[in-house]
Amino acid sequence: MDDRRTGVLFALMATLLLAACEDIAVAPHEANEASITRGKAATQRLGCGACHAIPDIWPQGTTGPALTNFADRGLIAGKLPNRPGELAAYLLDPPATVPGTAMPKIPMTQQDAADIAAFLHHSDAR
Amino acid sequence: MKSETGFDPDLFNRFPTQGDRPEGEEEGLKRVWCAPKGWEYLTVVNNNYVGIYYLGTAFLFFLLAGVLGLLMRVQLAAPLMNVLPQATYNQVFTMHGTVMMFLFAVPMVEAAGVLLLPQMLAARDLPFPRLSAYAFWAYAVGGLAFFGSLFIGLAPDGGWFMYPPLTSKAYSPGINTDFWLLGIGFIEISAIAGAVEIIVGVLRTRAPGMSLDKMPIFAWAMLVFAVMIVIAFPSVILATLLLEIERAFNWPFFDATRGGDPVLWQHLFWFFGHPEVYIIFLPAAGMMSMIIPTVARAELVGYRLIVLAMIATGFISFGVWAHHMFATGLPPMTAGFFSAASMAVSLPAGIQVFSWIATFAVGKPRFNTPGLFAMGSVVIFVTGGLTGVMVALVPFDWQAHDTYFIVAHLHYVLIGGMVFPLFAAMYYWIPMVSRRPLSERWGRWVFGLMFGGMNIAFMPMHLSGLMGMPRRIYTYLPGSGWDTLNLISTLGAFMLAAGVLLFLIDMARNFRLAPEEGEAGNVFGAGTLEWLPTGLYSTRSIPVVKSREPLWDDPNISEDVERGRYFLPRTATGRRETIVTSPLLAEPQYVQIMPGPSVWPFAAALFTAGFFLALTVQAYLFALVSGVLGILAVLCWLADTDLPVPENDVDIGAGIRVPTYVTGPQSHGWWAMMILIVVMGMIFAMALFSLAFLWGNQPSFWTAPPPMLEALPIALGYLAVIAAAWGTRELHRIGKSWAILPALAGAIVAPALLWLDIGAWSAVTAPDAGGQGAAVFALFSLQGMVAAIAVLMALYLGWRQLRRVVTARRNNTLDLTCLFIAYTGAQGLVGTLFARSIGA
Amino acid sequence: MPAETDLKAVLGGWPPAVLDPAGPYSEPVTLLSWALLIGGAVVLAIVLAALGVALWGAPSLRKRLGGDKAIWIGGVAFPVVVLTVLLVWGLWLTGDLAAKAPRPGEMRVRVTGEMWWWRVSYLDKAGRPVMQDANELHVPIGETVLLELDSADVIHSFWVPRLAGKMDMIPGRRNLLRIQADQPGTYGGQCAEYCGGPHALMGFAVVAHTPESFKRWRAGRLAPRPAPPPSRGQELFLTSGCAACHTIAGTEARGLAGPDLTHVGSRRTLGAGILPNNRGTLAGWIADSQTLKPGNRMPNYKQFTAEELNALADYLAGLK
Repeated sequence: MDDRRTGVLFALMATLLLAACEDIAVAPHEANEASITRGKAATQRLGCGACHAIPDIWPQGTTGPALTNFADRGLIAGKLPNRPGELAAYLLDPPATVPGTAMPKIPMTQQDAADIAAFLHHSDAR
Repeated sequence: MKSETGFDPDLFNRFPTQGDRPEGEEEGLKRVWCAPKGWEYLTVVNNNYVGIYYLGTAFLFFLLAGVLGLLMRVQLAAPLMNVLPQATYNQVFTMHGTVMMFLFAVPMVEAAGVLLLPQMLAARDLPFPRLSAYAFWAYAVGGLAFFGSLFIGLAPDGGWFMYPPLTSKAYSPGINTDFWLLGIGFIEISAIAGAVEIIVGVLRTRAPGMSLDKMPIFAWAMLVFAVMIVIAFPSVILATLLLEIERAFNWPFFDATRGGDPVLWQHLFWFFGHPEVYIIFLPAAGMMSMIIPTVARAELVGYRLIVLAMIATGFISFGVWAHHMFATGLPPMTAGFFSAASMAVSLPAGIQVFSWIATFAVGKPRFNTPGLFAMGSVVIFVTGGLTGVMVALVPFDWQAHDTYFIVAHLHYVLIGGMVFPLFAAMYYWIPMVSRRPLSERWGRWVFGLMFGGMNIAFMPMHLSGLMGMPRRIYTYLPGSGWDTLNLISTLGAFMLAAGVLLFLIDMARNFRLAPEEGEAGNVFGAGTLEWLPTGLYSTRSIPVVKSREPLWDDPNISEDVERGRYFLPRTATGRRETIVTSPLLAEPQYVQIMPGPSVWPFAAALFTAGFFLALTVQAYLFALVSGVLGILAVLCWLADTDLPVPENDVDIGAGIRVPTYVTGPQSHGWWAMMILIVVMGMIFAMALFSLAFLWGNQPSFWTAPPPMLEALPIALGYLAVIAAAWGTRELHRIGKSWAILPALAGAIVAPALLWLDIGAWSAVTAPDAGGQGAAVFALFSLQGMVAAIAVLMALYLGWRQLRRVVTARRNNTLDLTCLFIAYTGAQGLVGTLFARSIGA
Repeated sequence: MPAETDLKAVLGGWPPAVLDPAGPYSEPVTLLSWALLIGGAVVLAIVLAALGVALWGAPSLRKRLGGDKAIWIGGVAFPVVVLTVLLVWGLWLTGDLAAKAPRPGEMRVRVTGEMWWWRVSYLDKAGRPVMQDANELHVPIGETVLLELDSADVIHSFWVPRLAGKMDMIPGRRNLLRIQADQPGTYGGQCAEYCGGPHALMGFAVVAHTPESFKRWRAGRLAPRPAPPPSRGQELFLTSGCAACHTIAGTEARGLAGPDLTHVGSRRTLGAGILPNNRGTLAGWIADSQTLKPGNRMPNYKQFTAEELNALADYLAGLK
């Protein structure tokens, strides 16, 4: 294999890797397929759509903010940095985390909160 | 051979005559039956044109409603789609059902009758061409206006069976529901008009010698169809009238809180609604029974059985309506009766299916496109019939009712029982009217896509129904497990649509109307008379019919007919005419002079449409003007009819002479009037039933009616009206020129009697006071309507008398007016006595 | 993925509710349904075979098919026999399943269809309402329950397919329907007669308890309870117009137009079977029910602040 070819191959691989990295960049935490799938189910089960418009989730409520492209948001509830960890903590008890928020405390497990955070941060929720 | 009318059947042996006919006869026919030019296309009344208009319009509605169906399938392809918002979806599914049932199916088969029957019977036209034209225009204008309501968001949204109280003013305050009632109003008019036309046409204008047992099976089907319309449609006519009156004037027919009953609507609607299915199916089955023998190149097996089966279907279908109401809490005994009848109605269907199979078995079937559609129809229809037997079982229906199982069932029955036969029919009969037949190669694709798509779309619905998916839902939640099945259904629906699209493209490629001559002709080698060479005047001469497939049995018949060697090879009086024959054995009785083209049926239809539309949008002045103009247009259209010709009798060939003017039970007009009276009587009978039904179900709202004794003078008055009508006819027959006076008096007295009755009842109750008042005053409204028509007819008769066109001693206009006035008296008499006896 | 998972994913609604009976008022119908489905398939196969023979069969076979005799056998004799058997079965079952007058000691509940939810009234022996609820019905297993079906407006139809066939709710009439669940669990249903607007979003649930659990549930519901301590949520409820349509026992709220909310916190769903029930969905429903269930009779209440909405949701969620 001559050098030129090897160079092209490396360039190709690098491009592929970069392309793959783009996906990871969206959810830089340990989010995995299973968690995202569980998160979508929990989002549906808990009725988050009653207040939020979330892609692929019914209904498309208007009381709270729409959560499309949530990963691109700057702050959670205008207060917290938008990282999955913070999001999960907020979901577990919104009034305690961000006093004065309209979002009530909704009964859910820690697992639910982490999964929903993963789902919202995943590209599926675009 | 016995004779029915005294006609000597040996005379038929004079045909075919020998030698050539004189020059100029054919030109005479062509001149009288000439083709329209330019604007005259609006004034045509000939079935060759009206039939095609009618078919084209009905098929347009099939396409429009089909598109609505596709929209619904897109919305339901996945849970919680937002293609059609809730309100739109509710309008779309309502319109899909309504348009398919009322604006496509019934008009389509009626149109097929208008186009095909005269050809099959070798008549020059149907007996009331202007009535056909009026029925068509009223339907086309009204139907399109009705469909247009969808584009302004005002389409009805109560479902095609429009159950009150959802459709009452309280829960449907908009004019959407009124648009439904309007749209249905038109189809009621055109259906009844068509039924009159078809009954008289089939029974009285058959080719000489075509006794009932030699009649093409399609004519039998259309005869049963038309009789069923006459019995069934009055029920829905009354129902729509009552609902519109309830909405407009607050008469509580269906309001349970005020002595009405919503279940009354269901009885009235389904008494029409179920026979409606057979009204659609029978003509299509008739087409199948015409097509299959040709496809199989064999005589139809079990002709008599099929005729019996059709008549039986007609009878039984009036005993099955409540199977739509098993979940309303019918008593088990009642439910059992309707369950048994619903199963019994599958027997005649089975007879027809096995007759078709037997015909295939004895023949040498060809797999051409009509054949494929006919075979596909058998498969689909049998599947629908089997699920029909299932839902006829009350306990199963309690589960399946109002679910997608029913959606699947009804589409199998209607697509298999009507749409596929219709496509077979289009492929089969298009060569009769078009220069080129449709492509056989494309036809296979059309069939394949439609057959596959139909099954892929509707088979999964059985399962989604059993999974609990109800009908008429604009969306469903995820996790119900219905997603995949619905997606499959949607894909199938598009496949079905692709087949129809292919058909349309092929139509555009190959369909070239040839109303005068040059049509592709008998490409399938059929044996019935519609394949004789024809012009606008139908056949050159009207053959003597000796068998069911004359073209198979007499190879020379086409040439003999074309050379004028049979009946009426010319225009005997210089006008449009056809031979009227006796109802059983089809012996020639007289030559009917037929009305020619006229703008008045078209104008009358426009004004009728204007009247109803204006009423719907509450432009009352405009409605009034339209109504008056509509009546004037009808009078103008009638003005040049019923005028005797100079020739008292004419030679209709081989020296056989028949009269040109007859009156009484022999005349076609008398038959039509009797059918109209049956229709009016049925409407009134349904109104009587409504009153009795409300009394039976809401007795606590009843007040004692006025005493019967008070009705004595009114009853005597009505008897006098009947006597006056009868007396007029008798006096006229003995030659008294003042004879019409008693009839005029009778017509004037009838409304006065009604006024007396209304006065007596007003002291007891009011129409908006409760169900009883509403139902009683509905009887009076009907009586008022009939009385007003009687007055109009009497005035028209008087006007004709002044014009001196009422012939002495015998005259059809006078006869028919007297018949109607007598009916007015009889209906008034029954009404006044009945209303006072219910709950007395 | 393994094949069984695939099948499950494809047919999530499997087994079909109608073929998966959970009590004696649906079981015999399931048996009948199987008989009909299988019998129908067999008959269809016979007809197809006959058509196939007619089109492609050997001449001798075709000859047998091609006459009046075949029509009499296939179109008359065979159906008459089959239909007679079916008819007798159907009639017998109809008589058996049709609900008649209440039996002594039988539990009675009046369910009223409303646009677009269900009013549920538990009745005592004399037929007087003793407890109100909405959109779900609690029953003990192994016992028949007689439902009195009414309508408050248009025609609805009550249908819980795993427990019984459907029965219409018609204004001016009272239809009876008997149900029984044999296993504890939740059985879903949906309005089956088109009733306009959001007819598609009118769900219902029957919750079947073991006898002990039902006794506890019933006692809990019927026990006189101390008036809840005045709270911000209650105050808002009473002063914001909610009370005009809703009742909460023990408070001034006595509105009758909408569902009784005395036990709203313990219901499984919101909006008649369409949403899970928690503080979040309660808040969303109050503020924006028209988006969640378009056309329903409750207006949007957009005037609340975050704190008020939270207080209301808390209050309602606490009404167990």
